[in-house]
Amino acid sequence: MSDPTVPAIRIENLTKVFPIPFRRERVVAVHDLSLTVEPGQVYGLLGPNGSGKSTTMKIVLGLISPTRGSTQIFGCDSGLVESREEVGFLPENPYFYKFLTGVETLRFFGKLCGIKGSELRDRTDELLKVVGLENARNRRLGGYSKGMLQRIGLAQALIQNPRLLVLDEPTAGVDPAGSREIRDLILDFKSRGITVLLCSHLLEQVQEICDRIGILHRGKLIREGRLNELISIENQTELILEDADPALLTEIQALIAQKGSRLVEQRQPQKTLERYFLEVTGGDTEKKSL
Amino acid sequence: MTTPLPKHRVFSLSRVGAIASNTLLELIRLKVFYFLLLFALVLIGSSAFMVKFSFQEQFQVLKDVSLGAMSIFTFLLAVLSTAMLLPKDVEDRTLYTILAKPVPRFEYLLGKMCGVLLLLAIATVLMSLVFWVSLWGREQQALAETMQQMQGAPADQVAEAVKGVTDATFTPGLVPGIIVIYLKAALFVSLTLFVSTYATSYIFTVIVVFMVYLIGHVQSIAREYWLAGEAITVTKHIFLGAVALLFPDLQVFNVVNDIAVGNAVAMDMFAKVAGLGVVYLVIYLLLAYFVFAKKEL
Repeated sequence: MSDPTVPAIRIENLTKVFPIPFRRERVVAVHDLSLTVEPGQVYGLLGPNGSGKSTTMKIVLGLISPTRGSTQIFGCDSGLVESREEVGFLPENPYFYKFLTGVETLRFFGKLCGIKGSELRDRTDELLKVVGLENARNRRLGGYSKGMLQRIGLAQALIQNPRLLVLDEPTAGVDPAGSREIRDLILDFKSRGITVLLCSHLLEQVQEICDRIGILHRGKLIREGRLNELISIENQTELILEDADPALLTEIQALIAQKGSRLVEQRQPQKTLERYFLEVTGGDTEKKSL
Repeated sequence: MTTPLPKHRVFSLSRVGAIASNTLLELIRLKVFYFLLLFALVLIGSSAFMVKFSFQEQFQVLKDVSLGAMSIFTFLLAVLSTAMLLPKDVEDRTLYTILAKPVPRFEYLLGKMCGVLLLLAIATVLMSLVFWVSLWGREQQALAETMQQMQGAPADQVAEAVKGVTDATFTPGLVPGIIVIYLKAALFVSLTLFVSTYATSYIFTVIVVFMVYLIGHVQSIAREYWLAGEAITVTKHIFLGAVALLFPDLQVFNVVNDIAVGNAVAMDMFAKVAGLGVVYLVIYLLLAYFVFAKKEL
């Protein structure tokens, strides 16, 4: 049984310095970073290019070692191979083996996690269904679109039913419909109690799905906390009215002035461009390509 | 306080097997077996120049050409296949995805190596079959002509002539030679894997391994030449020792030449050569692991 008090990820005073070959210079990719991701959270790690996001992720996954500090996954040092028993990882722009079909890819990664026989067959079939690639199961990955590759990437990350998913730019290069599907999948993982560490440049998407965020800049964590608390404007209130006639609006404005408050802006709410795009395209452009 | 994780197996044959079979599949789907056509063409081409020779000479040329070609083809297959594996996985980021699973780096390297060794084993068996079939074809031709020439001759003379033909073709004595060829190529799989763990490109790996191949073939000659000279300084000794340690002495694998001319190789000699091949293979694999274990990906 998992202990809910043990953080999914604990990073303590992490520093990573890369020496530059043949020169005496060094690059500090991550500087004294400490953060905790609680079980069941969707945590967004944000930052511009070169801010240290990928380096942090690689250290968490044991792909590189820290110069100082420590990282743990469910209480286990992430430098140890056993810490990866509970982790699924989707790298940015994954290619996988182009010579394998979708089903062969999942079986390969399943075997690496010690899954065999009928259990592996069932799990493969189930995941292909979850990510909507049943029709492309016997097609080689060389012929997959970018969105399909991301989805097979998600499926392989989930093959051993991990408690933690590490996703590096999961929607990079994917069209809006595919992007929405991936976002819905992440929300589904969240509802099933899977912890997600997400690196993304798409701030709008991060805002929609993350509970907590950390902003990295030049290797340092400059902001960290619950998303709602970080982005709310404390001295402002938003009212959204439906079917309000002009007389009511005039009355409200007068009341606001009377009470000494200030009306900052009055406008009609707009749907997002993504929502509009999905409405006009039917929201299934990716699936039609299968 | 820690949460118990699922039981992790420190070493898993099934994980190694998964990586090995995947590597084999990758190489097969890259159509590397097309080189077998080239091997068959070499054998057919060499036959065209043998019409003037006696049957015994024809068999000998066929053995020399076949074993020589097998040696070269297995070496090229070993080096060119292995050199691309690691850089390709790094470039495609598939290495990240694999090592982000509970796969120790040693198992990854071992799996990759076993995949190429399996490919080499299949290739060696297929080349041996082509070799055997071409020798058998010649043998049937030689037997038919011998029987025709010896019509009416006494039975013991016919039997002796037939034995002369069959003894000169594919005999079990050739098998140790084929195993030695395989082990030499296997050694280069391990060496190439080691070089590719720190090399920055495919070309660099191939060039370094080809240099080792050359040094490995001439080092024993150079050593004998130097040791036969006047005074042997300590520096010279240390240098020769370092060269002998770093580069495999490939001259010992030339035992295949003796086998090709029909000399029976003593079991202890064969075991010594095979053992040396296996020892070098293990040493290079361990060196590859020590470099790869510390590698920042």
